Amino acid sequence: MSTSMKGMQPTTHGNALQGPLGWGLLVIAGVVLLASLGYALSQLMTSGHTAFNTSSVLPWGLPIATYVYFALASSGLGLVASLPLVFGFKAYYPLAKRCIFLAFALLISGMGVLALELGHPFRMLWVIPANLQVQSAMFWMGVFYSLDLLFLLWKFGKLQGGHWDSKTARQVGIASFIGVLLASGNLALIFGMMSMRPFWFDALMPVYFYATGITSGVAVLILLTYLAYGFRRERMPAALQRLMSGALPRLFAALVGATLLFIVVRAITGLYSNNPEVNLVWSEYLLESGLYLTSLVVGLLLPFVLLLGGLRNRPGIQVLTAVLVSLAMFAERLYFVVGGQVVPLFKGSWVPDLIAYTPSATEWALTLVGVSLCLVLFLLGEKFLNLGDMPPQMTQAPAGDPAAGDPAVEASRA
Amino acid sequence: MAKWGMVIDLDKCTGCQACTTACSMENNTLPGETWQDVLYYTAGENPSGQMKWLPRPCMQCENPSCVHVCPTRATYKDEEAGGIVFVDWNKCIGCKYCMIACPYGVRFYADEKPLIEPDIRDVFPGENGQLWSPPYQNPEEDWRRGIGIQPPGVVSKCTFCYHKVRHAPEGVADLDEDNPEVKEYVPACVRTCAPKARYFGDLDNPDSQVNRLIGDKHGVRLKDHTGNRPQVYYLGAGAGVPAFTPADRENDA
Repeated sequence: MSTSMKGMQPTTHGNALQGPLGWGLLVIAGVVLLASLGYALSQLMTSGHTAFNTSSVLPWGLPIATYVYFALASSGLGLVASLPLVFGFKAYYPLAKRCIFLAFALLISGMGVLALELGHPFRMLWVIPANLQVQSAMFWMGVFYSLDLLFLLWKFGKLQGGHWDSKTARQVGIASFIGVLLASGNLALIFGMMSMRPFWFDALMPVYFYATGITSGVAVLILLTYLAYGFRRERMPAALQRLMSGALPRLFAALVGATLLFIVVRAITGLYSNNPEVNLVWSEYLLESGLYLTSLVVGLLLPFVLLLGGLRNRPGIQVLTAVLVSLAMFAERLYFVVGGQVVPLFKGSWVPDLIAYTPSATEWALTLVGVSLCLVLFLLGEKFLNLGDMPPQMTQAPAGDPAAGDPAVEASRA
Repeated sequence: MAKWGMVIDLDKCTGCQACTTACSMENNTLPGETWQDVLYYTAGENPSGQMKWLPRPCMQCENPSCVHVCPTRATYKDEEAGGIVFVDWNKCIGCKYCMIACPYGVRFYADEKPLIEPDIRDVFPGENGQLWSPPYQNPEEDWRRGIGIQPPGVVSKCTFCYHKVRHAPEGVADLDEDNPEVKEYVPACVRTCAPKARYFGDLDNPDSQVNRLIGDKHGVRLKDHTGNRPQVYYLGAGAGVPAFTPADRENDA
């Protein structure tokens, strides 16, 4: 690991994505993006939304779940970036820039998938601002996520210019933090305010979305940070190594635990309730699904156990748990979105059953569009925007210096 | 201005689906896009098991949750048109949030897999922006009110046959198909109902038959606990739909 510096620019020698690996992955991600986008667009242009397996009785499916996954992972990373930039947890500085850029990439990808899900995405651009339906949570989703995107770009611009701690940078950071809270909290209320869909109806849905959003965001962040350094921690800058073997895995363990707790209390409430629109979702749909149970046990419980003890500092364990938790959180979003709709609004017609839904190839292609677009943006960011950048004082601290990144020490130095 | 309301007498309804068919023909809806349908279900079990059915149009709610959630004001309650809830197909972006918010399941996104094959949209491909273009069409088209055949990518719903109702004389209390002077203005489902289980009139007019029926025969609104306050009332036994139970669990209940 090199800590040599040219002027005030920190080293990025360890970044594997700035070399041939980055180009290789960029080509692969680009090809996947073009292929999946091409397939999805050709299907949408020839068959319209009949290419989806959603229906009038279950209108929101995988593309909406994909959007929710990306939007919340983005918000989660926006909140993590606020740890150093708003709340002074300077140990997180080494990840701040990557956090913000990834939050931007995830949000753009999510919005792209959402646009392809809508009946008339271009009409949306003028008809929402022209009609100002302030009663609709979806109107505010547009407002807040647009502001969120703007502040993310602005904040990234500040960091790109080396303004880590200036007054404006801090103000933009605070604005961005509030924007993220409003955007993801409002997204939660799109579901949480639907009293006619009791599985979602929950005043505390924003808290659930914040917590699980950070969990999914941190999982993606850990995975892609390791990817940036070729899955070798010793190639990371010293301050980042300290973070990856200290505060971050502890935070990740706590987040996975909190996510499990949220799901368990929701399950207990749902199973205890007599209301079939909640009870049946848990007893007949979620807990009957092998895939959902696997996502809980292998994707959340196993990582939580692995992260509890000393194992959590091993790079291999961190990468493994990040992959598992990312997949589990994606499954959680899908089962959450679909779960709110599987019980028919009316008992009806001869052999009543839960509404069946399996995503179509076009819907999966849209998910692939989101994933590959996010990867393309991330790889471009790593290659050209120096996402591993951090304040100069952090790169100067020698490896193993416990004082580096300690907010108290930083404050006393200042 | 009138406040149009519908009364459906479940003690007279035979579940014949003539209303469903008439609606489909009047409004050129696709198979499965049943703006008006009849739900069939069983309630209870032997020896007291019952066979029930429930005609279900859009409830044209006084406090419509679909209108509140629409981010573009595409779906709106038109008090000038008797309180009917419309979808403006020029504004709808197809986000389907209204379908999530409607407790009655009476909104349709027809751009979906066909209910039956062959897909009639392939038999009569869409022209002039329509999702499909059958040879016979209702000549009265008004996309700002969701009347006619919709373009792709928008939500459609029952309009209380506003293209007929709007021609009714000002101040009329009831649109009764037995009254020759107004029978052309009666919604298709009401006019076709053979057992005369449906009534259509002005809920704001104290002399209307719909008001008398609601008052005298204990009219109830479906899922009234949602607070949506439908303008459709049900008479007789059967408006209380039993809770959903999957077929394989019915005997466990």
